[in-house]
Amino acid sequence: MRLDRVWEIAKKDMASIKKRKYVLYGLIGIPLIFAIFVPISTIYPITNSEGPFVQLPPFAQPGLPPKQAMVAGLANLTVLMFMFLPAIIPATIASYTFVGEKLNRQLEPLLATPTSDLELLIGKGLGAFVPAMAATVASFVGLVVVVDLLTFPLFGYLLLPNLISAVVMIVYAPLVCLLSVSWCIFISSKVSDVRASMQLGVIGIGPVLAFYFLFVGGIVSLEWRALVAFGLMLALASAGLFSLSKATFQREEILTKWK
Amino acid sequence: MIELKDLTRGFNGLTAVDGITFDVEEGEIFGLLGPNGAGKTTTVRILCCLIRPSAGKAFVGGYEVGKDALKIREIVGLLPESPGLYGELSAYRNLEFYAKLYGMPKIKRGENIERFLKMLNLWRRRNDSVETFSKGMQQKLAIVRSMVHEPRVLFLDEPTAALAPESAKVVRDFILELKQERRTIFLCTHNLYEAERLCDRVAIINSKLIAVGSPSELERKFGPSRTEIHLERASKRIVDAIKRVKNVNGVEVAENRLLIDSEDPEVVNPVIVETIVKLGGKVRYVTRSANALEETYLKLVKESEA
Repeated sequence: MRLDRVWEIAKKDMASIKKRKYVLYGLIGIPLIFAIFVPISTIYPITNSEGPFVQLPPFAQPGLPPKQAMVAGLANLTVLMFMFLPAIIPATIASYTFVGEKLNRQLEPLLATPTSDLELLIGKGLGAFVPAMAATVASFVGLVVVVDLLTFPLFGYLLLPNLISAVVMIVYAPLVCLLSVSWCIFISSKVSDVRASMQLGVIGIGPVLAFYFLFVGGIVSLEWRALVAFGLMLALASAGLFSLSKATFQREEILTKWK
Repeated sequence: MIELKDLTRGFNGLTAVDGITFDVEEGEIFGLLGPNGAGKTTTVRILCCLIRPSAGKAFVGGYEVGKDALKIREIVGLLPESPGLYGELSAYRNLEFYAKLYGMPKIKRGENIERFLKMLNLWRRRNDSVETFSKGMQQKLAIVRSMVHEPRVLFLDEPTAALAPESAKVVRDFILELKQERRTIFLCTHNLYEAERLCDRVAIINSKLIAVGSPSELERKFGPSRTEIHLERASKRIVDAIKRVKNVNGVEVAENRLLIDSEDPEVVNPVIVETIVKLGGKVRYVTRSANALEETYLKLVKESEA
């Protein structure tokens, strides 16, 4: 595999994204909402509230006084919500770089170059993966600053980053991103409309949403077994979907069978 | 340089390319002619290793299609039916991207981009985004893209289809210049004037191969042998005399222009001219029918469909 070719394809896709203002707005706007609006609207009212916190929700962090338990639980919730970002953003980008290019008939000259199918697939996948992860990480840094500013007076120490956020950002987010990109590549062979691709692409959010609500409902707690199990499930799903997208992304298939 | 042996490709029970055999010499401009759906694009896609043949074999530059796909893609350039450029990027960035995928060194890359853009009058617009280009400019840029890595074999699918006459001429001159560099050019076209002007040889296909040869060979062999004679004044006496010349099959008159069908024009034409002169007629010029290849093509395709 020629990594220079892979990176060139990814760079070209990223340059194209920069020129598409609607994709760019999404790439900046959605992470800003997650970094600023979500913590302020959820954590700030609690830190300013005098209580009483008689009945705590299931996601409250055990072993802390009620108010701190509630705030720490909410902080974990906002961190878990960060898995939505690498699921949503690639759906937008990949819809343009796969379905958009298919519709604009930009794939045929690309397929005529001496790049292998795998180089093309990884290059185009990276073109969606890198900006999505960059936006997620940048947004997470913003979240950490906002949450710590809001909670430091209450705790006297920095609440974030913590172990959960490290697992989410280092393990889950890249896996969710890979899952989302692979899913988008797969559906790009089935649809011939960028909007349809984006809408179907958001289905990639499903596993994340399920885990999030299991935590909110108290069915799953953020202890190591649940974290490992979810990580393994994501890894398996990502690997499976990547294999499927690899089987779909073949020159012959693209030119003769893709819609 | 290109060799097709019984090349066949089917899609869902339909045979798009059916047992085609011909070869193309190095440095030749070879035209592939045929009606819509005749299998021209499929043939090009097979030769560029984009799709595999169902049966038969093909070789490009000595490499076998299907077995040496990456090697073949390194030595060929393709202009597909649709330019497929990245509209949001500049002309230069589009070309640079492709040149990098072909692994061209930086200096050579820059030289080639400049040289080809200048040849097709696009150099001044190199930093403009492609979406601001006219259709014709985009087509010319796509031609440069197919050439930027200096391929030995160039596949051009309808290169002048979207172009105004002056741009089409620039492209045709460009193609002829590439021929001087001994590049092999495989041209799919509906433009028979272009095929006649540019191609050393043409193949006419309609899923199956109908005929292959130089345009003049095909015209001689299969086409109606029509000669056009422009006179100062075409009188009835002259027309009647020509009709009586041996091997003349018919004479049409349009003002002072005579369209003459004959069995063997190279033998008959001098006799016709002599007859006209003897009767006091004044010959302005004698030409082969302007649409000779078109007529040959239409006749052959019609016969293949019958």
